[in-house]
Amino acid sequence: MRFTAIIAAFILPLGGLAHAQLTGAGEAEDVARELEAGTPEDGSADADPWEGFNRAMFELNDTVDGALFVPAAKAYRAVTHKKQRKGIRNFISNLRTPVTFANDILQGEFGRAGNTLGRFAVNSTIGFGGMGDPAERLGMDQHTEDFGQTLAVWGVPSGPYVVLPFFGPSTVRDGLGSAADLAADPAIWVRTEPARYFRYTRTGVGLLSAREPLIEPLADIKADSLDYYASIRSFYLQSRKREIANGRTSFEDLPDIGEFEEFDEFEDELE
Amino acid sequence: MSLFAPTRRSVLRCVAALAVTASWSAPALADETAETFMQGILDEAEPVLNASTKAEFYVGIEELVGTYVDMRRVGRFVLGQYARRMSDEQAAEYFPLFKRYATIIYQNTLEEYEGQRLVVTGSVDRSERDIIVNSKIVDPEPGDPFANAVIHWRVYRSRDGEMTVLDAGADNVWLAIEQRSQFTSLIANNGGGASGIDALIAELKTRVNK
Repeated sequence: MRFTAIIAAFILPLGGLAHAQLTGAGEAEDVARELEAGTPEDGSADADPWEGFNRAMFELNDTVDGALFVPAAKAYRAVTHKKQRKGIRNFISNLRTPVTFANDILQGEFGRAGNTLGRFAVNSTIGFGGMGDPAERLGMDQHTEDFGQTLAVWGVPSGPYVVLPFFGPSTVRDGLGSAADLAADPAIWVRTEPARYFRYTRTGVGLLSAREPLIEPLADIKADSLDYYASIRSFYLQSRKREIANGRTSFEDLPDIGEFEEFDEFEDELE
Repeated sequence: MSLFAPTRRSVLRCVAALAVTASWSAPALADETAETFMQGILDEAEPVLNASTKAEFYVGIEELVGTYVDMRRVGRFVLGQYARRMSDEQAAEYFPLFKRYATIIYQNTLEEYEGQRLVVTGSVDRSERDIIVNSKIVDPEPGDPFANAVIHWRVYRSRDGEMTVLDAGADNVWLAIEQRSQFTSLIANNGGGASGIDALIAELKTRVNK
């Protein structure tokens, strides 16, 4: 928590955004819209001023992914049962709850913070330390928050789309947010052997557990796309926008599929 | 009769004025006709999603997409600002290829919903001609990754009231928007303009002939 606040204080002046203020929860939608603010008005692709660098990083990540993560995820799938994997996924995501909780509070989303805390309490106890998810059955649905989303709610613009080596698609804001979340993690600062083992294990298992269910979907997207890079960029930007708005995205900010008058003319031409 | 007694005509006028104000001040309304239209398609899709063979499934989706999706409009949208630069010869080649490509994407995407039944849950109109219809899976199996997903359909109403489907999405991630990102990127990276469009056509050809 404290580290998050310190880093926040450090980042904001950097962006010349010292005036950024904590806004109410209801305004998240307006903030989400700004992710597309960089999009050219003429309806072309997503704004991507660093495309050259990003494509190179994307290539690198894709190579590492194919050589290392996919085989590891397949091995992980081979040695575990579906139910075990679900338990592990729950366990890892339960470990992430403090980060979500801190960011719920920073966003002024107290209802959601209460939900996060309740989930943590229920799942850590009667959920066998987080392996099960009885909270879900009690009507406490899971959501995640990160510091990138908090910055967005505070009014920090997303900045250009950027592909980070090994960390994948992000934006400048969300990348800084990830760094802050990492620093807010107590295990990073405890310099003991067990803490180090815990960190490595959590990272490794977390990676496998996150990659495993995506083996087929990502392979399909890659096979189907004309431009895998642009495809992932669009998926990332679209889904990120929804996360920031906490699922409340309105449909108003979707691009028009054709200006109707223009299309009407177009249809008249065809007739 | 007192001077201030409401006459029948003035009451009617007031009601009419109120009705106009109400329709102006309500931007997003549900559109029942569009919901009924979409539920009809989903009902038609149910036996296809539950087809016993893959071949039946693919043919079924192709027929549904061919009947209800306005490929000409979507095909133009995904070209972004390059739509205006396309020559007639390029258009003659592009549109049939796009239709084939987009159909394959629908087939591959809807494979995720095999064995399921979808039901309309509501709608939001962006305008009276552009309506988002939302749906969800009926009784998903526990642990289904799409169990809580909202599946959206973008319904377009033409000037004469005829409805078609323009886009499909899940949890606010839309197919045509993603395709536009790819297509415009590919065109731009191949010199933009005519040469870029040629590159796109060539790429689509290799995709659909796979």
